[in-house]
Amino acid sequence: MTLADYMTVSALLFLIGVFGALTRRNIIGILMSIELMFNAANLNLAAFDRFLHPEGLIGQALAVFVITVAAAEIVVGLALLLAIYRNTDTTYVEDFHLLKG
Amino acid sequence: MIEYAWLIPLIPVAASLIILFGAKEDPRSPLPWIGIGAMTVCLALAVSILWGFVSGGVALPYEKNWDWFSLATTIGGQSFVWTMPVGVLIDPPAAVLLFVVSLVSLMVQVYSIAYMHDDTRYKRYFAFVSFFTAAMLGLVVSSNILVGFMCWELMGLTSYLLIGFWFEREGPCEAQKKAFMTTKLGDSGLYLALLLLYAKTGTFQLTQLHQHFALGLVAPAAATVAAIGILLGAMGKSAQAPLMVWLPDAMEGPTPGSALIHAATMVAAGILVVSKLYFVFLAAPLAMEAAAWIGLITAFMAAAMALVSFDIKRVLAFSTVSQLGFMLCALGCGGYTAGLFHLTTHAFFKALLFLGAGSVIHSVHTNDMRQMGGLSRRMLLTFATMTVAVLAICGVWPFAGFYSKDMILVAAWNHEKWIFWPLLLTALMTAFYMTRLLTLTFLGDDRDHERFHHAHESPALITAPLLVLAFFSLTAGMAVAHDGLAARLFPKPTLSVAADAAAATPSASVAASAANNPQVQTPDAEQELPDWLKFGIPGVFVPGAMLLAFFMYRGPKFEAAEGLRSAFAPIATLLDRRWYLDDAFLALVAFCDGVAALAFWIDANIVDRVFVDGWGLLMRIIAEISSFFDGAFVDAAVDGVGGLSTDLGVGLRSLVAEGQVQEYMMYAAIAVSLAATLILTR
Amino acid sequence: MLSLITWAPLVGALLVLLIPKENVKAIQGVGFLAAGVSLLASLLLILSFDRSTAGFQFVEQWSWIPSFNVSYHLGVDGLSFPLVLLTTFMSFIALIGSMGIKERVKEYFFWFLILETGMLGVFVALDLILFYVFWEITLVPMYFLIGVWGGPKKEFAAIKFFLYTLSGSVFMLLAILAMYFNNPARTFDMIEMMKAGAAWSPRFQEIVFLGLYFGLAIKIPAFPFHTWLPLAHVEAPTPISVILAAVLLKMGVYGLLRLCYQMLPAGFAWFLPALVVIAVINIVYGALCAMAQTDMKKMVAYSSVNHMGYCLLGIAGMTAAGFSGAVLQMINHGIITGALFLLVGVIYDRAHTRDLSAFGGLAARVPVYFGLMALTCFASLGLPGLSGFVGEFLCFLGAFPLWKWQTTISVLGIIATAAFFLRMIQKVFLGAFNEKWEGHMPDMTPRELLSVAPLAVLTVLFGVYPKWPLDLMNATVVALLRK
Repeated sequence: MTLADYMTVSALLFLIGVFGALTRRNIIGILMSIELMFNAANLNLAAFDRFLHPEGLIGQALAVFVITVAAAEIVVGLALLLAIYRNTDTTYVEDFHLLKG
Repeated sequence: MIEYAWLIPLIPVAASLIILFGAKEDPRSPLPWIGIGAMTVCLALAVSILWGFVSGGVALPYEKNWDWFSLATTIGGQSFVWTMPVGVLIDPPAAVLLFVVSLVSLMVQVYSIAYMHDDTRYKRYFAFVSFFTAAMLGLVVSSNILVGFMCWELMGLTSYLLIGFWFEREGPCEAQKKAFMTTKLGDSGLYLALLLLYAKTGTFQLTQLHQHFALGLVAPAAATVAAIGILLGAMGKSAQAPLMVWLPDAMEGPTPGSALIHAATMVAAGILVVSKLYFVFLAAPLAMEAAAWIGLITAFMAAAMALVSFDIKRVLAFSTVSQLGFMLCALGCGGYTAGLFHLTTHAFFKALLFLGAGSVIHSVHTNDMRQMGGLSRRMLLTFATMTVAVLAICGVWPFAGFYSKDMILVAAWNHEKWIFWPLLLTALMTAFYMTRLLTLTFLGDDRDHERFHHAHESPALITAPLLVLAFFSLTAGMAVAHDGLAARLFPKPTLSVAADAAAATPSASVAASAANNPQVQTPDAEQELPDWLKFGIPGVFVPGAMLLAFFMYRGPKFEAAEGLRSAFAPIATLLDRRWYLDDAFLALVAFCDGVAALAFWIDANIVDRVFVDGWGLLMRIIAEISSFFDGAFVDAAVDGVGGLSTDLGVGLRSLVAEGQVQEYMMYAAIAVSLAATLILTR
Repeated sequence: MLSLITWAPLVGALLVLLIPKENVKAIQGVGFLAAGVSLLASLLLILSFDRSTAGFQFVEQWSWIPSFNVSYHLGVDGLSFPLVLLTTFMSFIALIGSMGIKERVKEYFFWFLILETGMLGVFVALDLILFYVFWEITLVPMYFLIGVWGGPKKEFAAIKFFLYTLSGSVFMLLAILAMYFNNPARTFDMIEMMKAGAAWSPRFQEIVFLGLYFGLAIKIPAFPFHTWLPLAHVEAPTPISVILAAVLLKMGVYGLLRLCYQMLPAGFAWFLPALVVIAVINIVYGALCAMAQTDMKKMVAYSSVNHMGYCLLGIAGMTAAGFSGAVLQMINHGIITGALFLLVGVIYDRAHTRDLSAFGGLAARVPVYFGLMALTCFASLGLPGLSGFVGEFLCFLGAFPLWKWQTTISVLGIIATAAFFLRMIQKVFLGAFNEKWEGHMPDMTPRELLSVAPLAVLTVLFGVYPKWPLDLMNATVVALLRK
């Protein structure tokens, strides 16, 4: 297994995430896609660390941080979602156009 | 016993506090007896000191000091911590006054038990009286003139409380305020004098001050200014012209309280302070002269007012002012002994007069002498004692007033004939109006029958003090004048101790300055009055004035007197209006109020406008300018940039669907990938 | 120890934030605890305070902003220690008075405690930046305390107070910076600054003095910068008036001695003739303005202008007696005027008016209240035996040798002071009872008594035996003049 393999997997994951985020209509789906992108990044971090600086654990540590932050982020996101759902009874993004100027 | 002298002022203070906080208000409260007990202890101490001195067992002056507090001070450019002493200084006059004050106060308190028995603020009255006496005793014994000044001011406070004792009525309220403010006006002079004395000598101790003056270390100019300041204080406290307006009104308070104010405490304090600081006056002949003339003018003006008044207490108040004028005049003429001697005798007979008048008022319930008359038949004891007092104040031999007034006249004769003759006239006026009072009240026919029939002799608690005071009014003069005792009790201070003190001082320069000191005066050779005056005054003039008054006011209508009054109507009006001094005082008050209103107007309309609103206006002008600059230049640039991006945004927005997050995200993703491609392929 | 005294109220303030606002008892409890810790700690310091040394004691110093040589430097000497005691004591008293505050209690206590920290900090700070920070900290709570809990014109009064004092402090900051940049040691340390001061040129000192004076004079308040005071006093709630009069004004006089006199001797000497004139105006003019008032609180406020004039006069005398008098007068004025405001608050709570002519004859109905009011009024007009006299007398004693005429004129102010206090007593308490208040005038409640009685006791105590407060300051005052 070389670094390139990890990179490939990670790139694929990321693209899936991007695709999901751009195409899913359900907000929960979008959030899950965003998680995928995070994990792609985490995979990258761990892989780079393992292959380029095998003596340390900085990359892994960073990954753990990212996971924590992601958890926090998803909490906020879900809370917002809940608020939105309560107000509008829907979770589909195309029903929202609050940003419309 | 003299080592306990420091207790004398403290005992009544303690009594006063116990009375005030000891129990609830109750007309049958036994608390006042605490005050009487305290005063008895003081009297016993005073008697032992005085007797010890007279019999030679106790050496006076006695001085003892304690540390009070330390303060940082700067003298002659040097700063250091100096300890202010507090202590007692008992010289012979102080010993006499201790006796007089505690005796009069004791009598007043005993009298008050009966007089005030149905008052709602019974207990408070006794607390005030005890505190009042304590303040006076403190002034008498204090060795530190600052402490003396503090007692002096506290006396002002207690007189304020006593005069306004019946504060529900308008009269006492105005009177108490007037008394406090007028005396405060005088006090400011004393205050400044103390500041000056301290600036020049660096001490408040009487003995040290005396030494400084004796050594000639104080410039005559400074001494004169200080003496005039002290004189101002005395004029306020002892009700000398033109600050005498408060004393006639001060009788709005309870009569025994007035007796205390007029006889032994408040007004005596002014004379006492002048005598305590007499060495300052000795160094300032100009101030001495001023004191003599002010005393004379006061004595005359007050006596004149007493001639026309029909209010018994008011006549007595005027006579107090007049007698105080005598004392101040004596002090100013160099008759130190005479002045203090008269202070002593006056305390007895004036207290007696007020208490007697109180007894009369208590019995007939009016102050107006026109509604009295013939009361001697109803109140024999009061009449007899009052007669003693009147004879004493008139100066009839051998009553107390004769000796002291005689001594004052001698002093005036020796000093200045221009003072002597008016003073003699005033003395005769005194004899006249006091006899008039006695005649109107006790002799002749009863003018108001109803009041006459209800009149009755007062209870023993009232008459007993009268008898005691009558005894002293009769004998005090003889006893003191006997065998040169007066000169021993009231030895005139001199500035000639310089020689002894200089010898004790090692500094040669001090000794030299003392030797060249021009202020040291040689004692004047005392001259007797010429024989025709010496025997004529008590033998002819005074009895003549008294008889004149008796015959003029004997009848029920006293037509002769009324005729005189209408013949000299302008003068009578002038005297009735009290020389327009009250109007002047009211005008002064109104003027001060006007100034105050003006000051406040300035504050609200000018100072506030200029320094607050003006400041704000300045800020706003600056703000407007910078706001204009901001709007015209700075903001315009910002707006330009903003406008540009707005236009850009509007243009772009028309290209995309509206409000869809994911569409925005897609553009973002495209942009990122483009950027990434650009960077990575560079 | 000084840190404990200073920061305990702030800790209390933060704790107050954690308590739900409905729990009034707990909020008050925490407030009292915090102020009490401060008070107890400062009282404990009396025991170990060395009365014979002039230098700073209980010094604490840590580096704070090293790049600008700013340090966290605390210490007290005979000048500031009495004021620290005054602050902790009066804050506690004012807190007792604050028990009457019923609305928005949580915020009130929060701001109050922050205010206390600010005031204490001003007196204990030995670093100019620290001093300035504390100086400004006092403004914000004061703004809210007047603006939220005040009277009818509270917003206007609060804004006026805030902006006016702030504009003064800006000049002070400029002056401080000027001193910093002209100091070879490049430090904000006050002790260093006092040493450097002598070397500055007189012209520089004069300019810096004016900058400092402008900030201080507004706080004192010295004529003509005093007009914010009556308004702020009238609109402020009672306990805040107490704090304003008892402590906040003292910051100005303290600054005048600590900053101007100790750091800029030449500038101070240059300004002296003007200062004495300002003092005389403060005394006479303040008393006259007070005479013209019909509102009791406004009258007391103007009497503060008058009393701070005594302090200025004492300082202008440049003698040890004058300086001791000024410091003592600050303490006494704090105690007496604090009591006066509390007492005026008592009658306002009952009658909802402070108009002098609305009352009459209360003396017979409320004897305890009358007794305390009379005691405080007489103390304030300088009756001997009560504390006001000693400070006032020492101020006059100290000023007289240098300024004879000015002192003589100032004595007239004493008479005017007596006049308006006596008039107030007469109008409110004496004469016939005004039937309008029948049944509305109960005597003082235990809480009110608890807040006023300690002040009354101290008034009598310091008047009869001024040794205790004077001993604290003697050594320092002598050293102040020796340099």
